[in-house]
Amino acid sequence: MSLLEITNLNLAMRSYEGETQILHGIDLKIERGEIWGMVGETGSGKSLTGLSISRLIPAATGRYLAGSIRFEGTDVLNATEREMRKLRGRKIGMIFQDPTTNLNPAFRIGTQLVDVALHAAEHDPSVLGLSGNASRRERRRAARRVAIEMLGKVGISDPIERIDAYPHQFSGGMRQRMLIAMAMIGKPDLLIADEPTTALDVSVQAQILKLIHQLVLERDIGVLMITHNLGVVAQLCSHVAVMYRGRILETGPVRTVLKQPSHAYTRALLAAIPTVHTKRGELRGIGDIMAEAG
Amino acid sequence: MTMIQTSLPKRDPSARLENWSRAFYRFRQSWLSVIGLAIVAVLIVIALVAPLIVPYPEHVAGATDTAARFMPPSAEHWFGTNALGQDMFSLVLVGSQVSLFSGLAVVIIAIAVGGLVGAVAGYFGGWVDETLMRLTDLLLTIPSLILAMAVAAALGTGILNMIIAISITWWPAYARLIRGEVLVKKEEQFITAARALGAGPGRILGRHILPNIISPVVVKASLDMGFAILTVASLGFVGIGVRAPVPEWGTLLSTARGYMPDYWWTALFPGFAIFLAVLAFNLLGDGLRDVLDPKARR
Amino acid sequence: MIRYVIRRLLLLVPMLLGLSVIVFAIARLLPGDPAALAAGPNATPEVLASVQREFGLDKPIPLQYWDYLTGLVQGDWGVSIFTRRPVFEDIVTFLPATLELVAAAMLIAIVLGIPLGLAAAVWRNGVLDYVTRTVSLGGIAMPRFFLGLLLQLCFVTWLDILPLSGRFPLIDLPPEEITGFYTIDSLLTGDWYALRVSLAHLALPALAMSLSPLATIIRMMRASTIEVLQQDYIMTERALGLSSRLILFKYVLKNAMTSTLTVIGLYVSWLLGGTVLVETVFDWPGLGLYATQAILSQDFMPVIGVTLVIAIIYLLSMLIVDLLYGVFNPKVRSS
Repeated sequence: MSLLEITNLNLAMRSYEGETQILHGIDLKIERGEIWGMVGETGSGKSLTGLSISRLIPAATGRYLAGSIRFEGTDVLNATEREMRKLRGRKIGMIFQDPTTNLNPAFRIGTQLVDVALHAAEHDPSVLGLSGNASRRERRRAARRVAIEMLGKVGISDPIERIDAYPHQFSGGMRQRMLIAMAMIGKPDLLIADEPTTALDVSVQAQILKLIHQLVLERDIGVLMITHNLGVVAQLCSHVAVMYRGRILETGPVRTVLKQPSHAYTRALLAAIPTVHTKRGELRGIGDIMAEAG
Repeated sequence: MTMIQTSLPKRDPSARLENWSRAFYRFRQSWLSVIGLAIVAVLIVIALVAPLIVPYPEHVAGATDTAARFMPPSAEHWFGTNALGQDMFSLVLVGSQVSLFSGLAVVIIAIAVGGLVGAVAGYFGGWVDETLMRLTDLLLTIPSLILAMAVAAALGTGILNMIIAISITWWPAYARLIRGEVLVKKEEQFITAARALGAGPGRILGRHILPNIISPVVVKASLDMGFAILTVASLGFVGIGVRAPVPEWGTLLSTARGYMPDYWWTALFPGFAIFLAVLAFNLLGDGLRDVLDPKARR
Repeated sequence: MIRYVIRRLLLLVPMLLGLSVIVFAIARLLPGDPAALAAGPNATPEVLASVQREFGLDKPIPLQYWDYLTGLVQGDWGVSIFTRRPVFEDIVTFLPATLELVAAAMLIAIVLGIPLGLAAAVWRNGVLDYVTRTVSLGGIAMPRFFLGLLLQLCFVTWLDILPLSGRFPLIDLPPEEITGFYTIDSLLTGDWYALRVSLAHLALPALAMSLSPLATIIRMMRASTIEVLQQDYIMTERALGLSSRLILFKYVLKNAMTSTLTVIGLYVSWLLGGTVLVETVFDWPGLGLYATQAILSQDFMPVIGVTLVIAIIYLLSMLIVDLLYGVFNPKVRSS
């Protein structure tokens, strides 16, 4: 049984203009220990695929036309909300793009971290290293201990003091580490990271990627990394899926896809990355290449 | 010397029309705003023609009919009659004149005074701004109804005095609003350009800044019309306001209070008229805000 | 934190000074001769002059202000020409009744408004949303004095379950005075009869006053909850499996409270100023009624006194709101 198996996923979104199909037959299979990069332009459907895995697209706006998502055998699209909550935070961790808007500004970071830990422990007390019959207070204390540990693990110095700080007292990189800590505290088996480094500067970006890599090695989890940055994919991922206009164009191990891209679009994406050797005037936009490719 | 003919780009009238029709479309989207506009329109028409159409114009002028005291609502007297046998329907209809007129006057005076103070404070800044705004802040802390009552009582009864009294308490809010808007607009590029062309402060304020801040003022004014009407009625209700024979909703209600609950109709209809007028201007103001000031939409 | 409060309190002093000048100036520059009114229509010039001397009205206006200001600091707020009692004593007598009324109205508005606004936002475009929106639209437009009359008509005349007006039956003894709030005093003394009676008297005026703030709080709470629900951090919290209940009542509520809090602060002053109307309808023996009588008889000192007291309460409540704002929005606190 695969960790995650998406088959023929078709999603339509409703807006004022009516219903438009966004995802066309997405197929994806992720195993433990694999780090998948999902690349594509803005609006290609990467993020909606990621949200679909935790079924976070509101029923009022999104409708699944066909397909299925199976997480460790659970049929995500047909599960009850209760069952989904058991997955969220505990089995599936999520990190979103913008660390400035994804942390609740009115609460200490410890509060949010402890609540996620407590939620995860509801379904699996071992997350906090406790047995099933621990008291509320014990659980709270343990959750705080685990939260401090987690902060240390994601590289926040003085976690004992920092746990009572508010998000605005942190820098962008630290906030992103916070978000990773929140996603990882429930010891998930799958981590979905939606552009986790886009808002950060390059040096911090490298640290964050290293941190994610470390966590994967440590815990043998699967990762779906949504990004438009092929550099990130080349550095971190073991596999890659290329998306374009709601379709997956090609998938495979990073080396194969990046070295011998079989699809014109992937070649275009690769050509759009400047390297040290790129000469002036050589850098080409995706639009040009796709237009040539017809 | 030859005359050089330059053709300035003219404003395209059709583009302007399109803007208006788009604004109107957005306004029509909310049926509540349309209802508000409709009621306001009806109120204005009633206020204009009331003396001509009411069934008992002589009652409005102060005539009494003691034989027909406290008649309940009937086909003859739609809203019944009061303690003096006057037709409530006629009084309530004509009462719209005082309310609408004084509401409008209060808002206009408040915009004029507040606009002047706010524009001067915002444009010149420095100690002028400090002084004017401290004064404005102080006035805003004073309970406005009590201040208006005190001023109106001291000046004596009469529509004009009442309008002056309410206006005194209303302009600071506009001064605040307009100062803020002027401060923002002052920094924009086109003002610098106008200044570079040698425009003086009066011209910059009048021609370049004020026309650009009209939207928030219109929105606030239409919302405030309702509250101005409410304040006029409040003064009438506590017994400070227009002189006796002139029908005014608050005064009618205040008189009727003594005859509650037996003659409830004498209170119900003037009260309901106030409610309806305030509601209509609020709905209209909400709709205008959505059209003119979408950012402020909540 | 304490230094901030002290600084803010010190800033109140120049504001109050300025306020006293403005209020005094307005009161004195207006036409009308209070001495003539007090002395009566048939007073001889000699009587008039003695009345003027009695109240210091014969001195030049700046000197009158100076006398007033020095008196103000010493707790001598002048004498009411009509009650012939010190204004300060009058205010101390009438203030608790008004504060009790305002507090009760605000309590009703907050206790009902916050959950209703929250619920309307959560079930947006649902039945409850439409009902609360209609009520709040009407509530803002409803004149308090008219609502008061309607409530009297309904609960007193038709249902006959509540008293028409007043704060306590004249023939009964009010509870022993501790705070001046009848409800709290009767609770403290364990006088259940007095509690029931004072609550029955309080109910209608408080209800009449609460509709407008209730409507505004619902609107504000609904709008800010909708805004908060669309924030990224709410999605993160949902994505990490926190229950909707926890998200709504803990994480959304605190964020949505900030803008609602400002409205609540502004309404305290609005309600205090507006008690005039409701107190008139219900013959509620508070500051509003006192001020109305003073205004109608052009009695300066009580008007100035009441205005100052309300302004002080307003400034203090804004200070409290600012402090509470820091609780709900930690960013403000640290800056």
